[in-house]
Amino acid sequence: MFKYLFAKAEDIPAGSAAVYFGFSSIIWFVIGTGLGSFNAAKLAFPDFVTGSEILSFGHMRQVHVLAVILGWISMAFAMAMMYITPALGNTKLWSEKLGVWNCFLWNIGLSLGLFLLWMGVSSGREYSDMPFVIDVVVILGLLTPLCVNVFMTIKTRRTQGIYTTNWFFGAATFMVIIVFTVGNSPEFFQLTGLTEAYLTWWFAHNVLGLWITPVAAAISYYVVPKVTGNPLYSHRIGHLHFWSVVVFYSTPAAHHLMSAPLPEWLKSFASVEGVLILVPAIAFVSNLLLTMTGKWRMFVENIEIKFTITGVLMAIPLNMQGGFQQTRAINWYIHGTGWIVAHAHLALLGFSTFLEAAAVYYGLQTLLRRKLYSLGLANFHFWMLLIGFTTYWISITIAGLIQGAGKIYEVPYIDVVIAEHPYMIARWVGGTMVFLGNCVWLYNMYKTARAGTAIPAGRLPHELAYER
Amino acid sequence: MAWKFDNPLHTLCTDDQNEKAKAVWEGESLGGITEDNNRLPPPIIGILLLTIVTAFLITFPLWGQRPNAAIYEEYIALMDSPAIQGKSDAEAMEYMVNKVKADGSKWAHLQERHPLEMDDLRLIKDAIIELKQQKADLREFNILGDAVVMANFEGNWITDPNTGEIRRERVQPWWDKGYTIDIFFIVFFCLGVMIAVKRLPDYGWEPKHFGH
Repeated sequence: MFKYLFAKAEDIPAGSAAVYFGFSSIIWFVIGTGLGSFNAAKLAFPDFVTGSEILSFGHMRQVHVLAVILGWISMAFAMAMMYITPALGNTKLWSEKLGVWNCFLWNIGLSLGLFLLWMGVSSGREYSDMPFVIDVVVILGLLTPLCVNVFMTIKTRRTQGIYTTNWFFGAATFMVIIVFTVGNSPEFFQLTGLTEAYLTWWFAHNVLGLWITPVAAAISYYVVPKVTGNPLYSHRIGHLHFWSVVVFYSTPAAHHLMSAPLPEWLKSFASVEGVLILVPAIAFVSNLLLTMTGKWRMFVENIEIKFTITGVLMAIPLNMQGGFQQTRAINWYIHGTGWIVAHAHLALLGFSTFLEAAAVYYGLQTLLRRKLYSLGLANFHFWMLLIGFTTYWISITIAGLIQGAGKIYEVPYIDVVIAEHPYMIARWVGGTMVFLGNCVWLYNMYKTARAGTAIPAGRLPHELAYER
Repeated sequence: MAWKFDNPLHTLCTDDQNEKAKAVWEGESLGGITEDNNRLPPPIIGILLLTIVTAFLITFPLWGQRPNAAIYEEYIALMDSPAIQGKSDAEAMEYMVNKVKADGSKWAHLQERHPLEMDDLRLIKDAIIELKQQKADLREFNILGDAVVMANFEGNWITDPNTGEIRRERVQPWWDKGYTIDIFFIVFFCLGVMIAVKRLPDYGWEPKHFGH
């Protein structure tokens, strides 16, 4: 990467930025899930690594969260944008050099931010834990260059229309800058009280609603038609999905604060908008599943489709949970319990991770012009991720329900801790499976770059049989 | 561009614009990806409508129901009764709640939804007694923490029974629980999506992509 930072623009091969982003994202995924496994071990086995302040749960939790969100998920998004946006515009990335710099700054900025968090320099606001200097770096050094590159690539496209995926990419890269800037305003302007609480959760909600969810969906709008060869079922349902995400997903932040003394109308509004999130969800899932018509065998045979459709299917429980857990009656029971942790992992480790993994698998093979080194290892990765995640999700959901019951019936705290202990062990087992699967994935992709079968010009990776 | 009222799903574009759109739609492979022009299957339209209705129904009884001053009037009347003298705050509150419940109150439902403690009552007691002396309609005042404030509603024009002044009624209507903004949201969203979608060629047209 370093040799291209100061190289002439014409000397940088097309796709370099995407490849660097792709490998960076996998490495951050390994780090992020490794930290997750470590943290889960501390919850499952309270005597595991004690006595060191910087290895305590309070120091490590936000490092895990932000390594996964800004490292794995967002860098996988950047990777997808760097190769999908130009492909859909029948053009080249606007600036490969900016992309390489973007990737370099992203790794530096994120490492610095996570190191500070690890050392305990934190704003103390969930999801926007980074100190304000790092927030500025994220906005100006990470997100703005990405937005500029995506927008300019769309602007310089050689097609007349803009495909659904690129609407989402363009809108999301812009919206995430607004989300980061406005969402961190409590830190920039020392806002306190309810304003701080509301804006913190406005940020946390919209990072999901206007960044992770739409970009993950946009990726599948590309991968499914591209790999199956079927046209997207409906352009119109794409419209419905896009506009309903923008309208309904941007507003219900107050559902994170249903018990806070916020204005009643705001909480009511959040509840209604929350259920209406099902509109884009239904539009998205139905459009993708209908696009699969006649190609369902690929759900078994093709690794990218296997990942993508699993992610799309996970959007169903995800949005059903999301829609209803913010109604007051349900929120009253599950708020502040492991249920929410499980839901957050269903969104990030379930739904979106499976879609991003497909994009990284597909993108790296296409850009490196090399067939996947081992389909067996890729399948192993898929099943480790799916079984590990499912174990995690189910066990923490059950633990959350136990905590909810304990909260309502005023069961002594220590009894709740004892009751949920087996589920904490299951959580660690599941999380560790995900981590091990990712280590295998990193190895598989490294070997793909080094020893994968070369793909002849004019062919696509999924058209070739597996061989080496 | 013309809206055809007899055919609401008909495209808003002229024939020329449609022909151009069709040519672009069929001619662009978008890097190997193409898009079809299908409409939503009816069962999915049903689910979407059900979702919108559910969103409103599920939150309807809970929306923005503020506690008004009238619902605590009966408690305040009991605060100085001999029956609660010598009792602890918790016991006194329990007695008052049970007594009001047993006597039957038209506010039973709201009293249950907005419970409070003796200290809360002490904070609002004087303000409510003063309002009663002024013959104010207690339903027009909301309890916000320790403050009794004029309710933020604008209902029908009425003649104030005390002053003869013509003003708006401030009692929270049974149907206004703060959802009007949601209805605006939905209406504008549906209009927006409909106009965006109606700029495209008609549903009946099927693009012929390369190789499909």
